[in-house]
Amino acid sequence: MPMIERKQVIPGDVIARGNHRYGSYIEKRGDELVALRVGLAELSQEGVRLNPLTGPYIPRAEDQVIGKVVDINGFGWVVDINSCFDGFLPASFVFGREFSPATHDLSSKFSVGDVIGARIESFDRSRDPQLSIRGHGYGKISEGEIIKISPAKVPRLIGRRGSMINLISERTGCDVQVGQNGVVVVMGPPDGIAKASSVIKMIDRETHGASLAARVEEYLGGGADGS
Amino acid sequence: MSMKKNYVVETIRKAQMVELLAKGRRVDERSPDEHRPLTIQTGVIQKANGSAIVTLGNTEVLAGVKVATGAPFPDTPDKGLLVVNAEILPLASPYAEPGPPSEEAIELARVVDRGVRESEMVDLTKLCIIEGKTVYTVFVDVNIMNVDGNLFDATSYAVVSALRTAKMKKYAVENDKVVVKDDVVPVPVEKTPVSVTMARIGDVLVVDPSSEEEAAMDMRITITTDDDGNVCASQKGEASTITPAHVLEAVDTSIRVGKAIRAQIIEATK
Repeated sequence: MPMIERKQVIPGDVIARGNHRYGSYIEKRGDELVALRVGLAELSQEGVRLNPLTGPYIPRAEDQVIGKVVDINGFGWVVDINSCFDGFLPASFVFGREFSPATHDLSSKFSVGDVIGARIESFDRSRDPQLSIRGHGYGKISEGEIIKISPAKVPRLIGRRGSMINLISERTGCDVQVGQNGVVVVMGPPDGIAKASSVIKMIDRETHGASLAARVEEYLGGGADGS
Repeated sequence: MSMKKNYVVETIRKAQMVELLAKGRRVDERSPDEHRPLTIQTGVIQKANGSAIVTLGNTEVLAGVKVATGAPFPDTPDKGLLVVNAEILPLASPYAEPGPPSEEAIELARVVDRGVRESEMVDLTKLCIIEGKTVYTVFVDVNIMNVDGNLFDATSYAVVSALRTAKMKKYAVENDKVVVKDDVVPVPVEKTPVSVTMARIGDVLVVDPSSEEEAAMDMRITITTDDDGNVCASQKGEASTITPAHVLEAVDTSIRVGKAIRAQIIEATK
């Protein structure tokens, strides 16, 4: 039986001592593993983890994000990905290898203010995160309501294997796209959007505590919207 | 890392705003002529002659008044000096940078200054001590502590509240010399100007735009009125135009909305 020990920590708290594997938001100081964020620390045989309860979005390769175009330069689009880092979508990823700043008009594809779904292609902190829209479901999002939640709460909104998000979209008749960066876009009938957006804000507000799923279920009531 | 220049509103968010406004609603559930919650706290800086912190939604502004003496301007030898200056603190917004006041901060100070000056809120002739030689100088310094749209109105309310509560040392003239007395007197305030800023989004004027609405607006207009409903100052901003019908609507709205705000300022500065 693997034993998992959980505890609440604040920055500076010593989570464990000795040789453990440790993940993000933890620093090794001598023999001590010290928390760098407010969050829940997990100790198990596999090592020490820290799930932050707050904080900005830190990009990671392969994350799906939703951002808005804030600037266009000769080589691509600068995208606000709700992080302390600006995303950059290179024009060559969109127009292909034959891209040339002289012949291609970048604003014909995305202009400032456009909302796009994208994937983090690479990020290593020495450069801004690179985005890509290759693949299914990425690219311009031309309708829907934007809701921003805390990036730390995205896993709860999605739920185990997408259970929470499926429940919301099923009950409201809306398509809900969630970016790992805490940006959510809801598309569908107007009253469905209103219902979905209020439940998403509720999850953001009241994430912690027992039986979130049950509370969401109760909030949404039975049956799909309009049926 | 690229520097952030301006807040950009999502195209689909703006579309949503325009759609809601056609039905008389706003994205933050206010009605078009409703301002955000306003709080006014005075006497917040001990060493200033007068001070106020104003919050308008998440916008937060601190104003302080310093009264000293100095020489008058040569063209107004019998009038005191009144200067409003504003700075946006770097911590107030991701788009604010340290350094000399930005163009935005200069416009802000000028618009607020104009409202106070042209309403003749402070009777500058009462600030004269020796004509042509010594007058009171009133400096109002504003620090923007948090930016969430409509700095014009928040700053105006802070400046007006700080001035209404400001007290200055009394000076007397003895043998042609200016002598400081021990007692303090209020700054001679005659009126309570109130500025109301409106943004045009699509075809609708909305009062007290949030930063998101400011990013989406086509045009903005600030109108300052006095206690009797006279328009004493106005400023139009942004590239788009304004129709005569919208000007008249803006004046009416400014007088109507300004009335309740004036009552609140007077109550907070009693």
